[in-house]
Amino acid sequence: MVQNRNKLIELFIGNISNSIVHEILERAVSKEPIADKYRKELITSFEVAKKYMEKINPLDRPLPNKDVEYIKTKIINKVRAELMTRISKGYKNIEISLVEELVDKALKNTNVE
Amino acid sequence: MDQIYLPKNRAGFAIGNYVVIKSLEKKKLVERLYFYGVKNLEPIKLEIVQEILNIIDQAFDTYENILITGSFLDEGFQFNDIDILIVTDYKLSIDMIRDIIKRKTGIMGHILVLSNKEFIRGLETDPLYQMILSRCISKKRFLYKTQNKIDYKLLDLHLLKSKVLIDNFDFLSGDEKYNLVRNMIAIYLYLDSKKVSNELVDKEIKKYFGLKDIKELKQNLIDKKDFLKKYKLIYYQTFSKILRGIESGAKQK
Repeated sequence: MVQNRNKLIELFIGNISNSIVHEILERAVSKEPIADKYRKELITSFEVAKKYMEKINPLDRPLPNKDVEYIKTKIINKVRAELMTRISKGYKNIEISLVEELVDKALKNTNVE
Repeated sequence: MDQIYLPKNRAGFAIGNYVVIKSLEKKKLVERLYFYGVKNLEPIKLEIVQEILNIIDQAFDTYENILITGSFLDEGFQFNDIDILIVTDYKLSIDMIRDIIKRKTGIMGHILVLSNKEFIRGLETDPLYQMILSRCISKKRFLYKTQNKIDYKLLDLHLLKSKVLIDNFDFLSGDEKYNLVRNMIAIYLYLDSKKVSNELVDKEIKKYFGLKDIKELKQNLIDKKDFLKKYKLIYYQTFSKILRGIESGAKQK
């Protein structure tokens, strides 16, 4: 059971990180709206992450501080690593300073905090 | 119970006469539609398309074009909804149109509204938009002469959506998997300067993943280990290509 919970937490971290990377890249790509309405039908990492959180935390209470700290640190590191891969190739306009703010927002929106 | 009220004092027919009950709403004449990449369409579906176009016409007529796309155009009746793309520079209430379509045809309309600029930009930079035009029914004849502009950053963003499948195989339905694979393969082909169409993308999916029929994927009947191995390979190959593109773009600046 604990092992299952840990696995779900890792899956949650992976998906929420992906959604934050997506958000930062979206801001970096262009100031014009992105013609991506046709992809709105694709299931998003954020939706998947929310489903995992419902399983991890069915009672919808904030998670213990120990878990929150672990999740937060891991997401920040994952997002930074993904963005750094791109920055190292010369990708411009990536606002790495947004990471912590967006991670906090995502954790609130998924009732982790 | 349905009721029809007639005035008590009426001229023309007496009690016991047979009458015809007819809607005052006149049916519009069947208009000519333009078929792109659609070889066959069941007559009942064609009637549904006509009905939908009439509904949109009555609600809103300042559009550039209306396109019907997606799985509704596949042979048979396996579709969940009908994809309707309205190209217009004006605002419109799609909720109302969606409700009328649902009420009159019993089918859920998945309506997308794009401005002309958005649509053209999508066609130039996004393989998924090219797929729409490769197979659709159009209200008006169209000739969109656009040139492919490979925007690596945009493709990176589009490809990232397909990453969901790598970690969440067990969680996703067959249709969700199919959509994510299709997105990735379309980008993969686009980067190879290949023409992107529904038919070609499905053919490539079958080839890469060794499927006899695309339904194996849509119905979630694939072997996880083998599938993910191939999926990751194509995903990371495509991602590397995009990163190289971003790198060479940055060096040129």
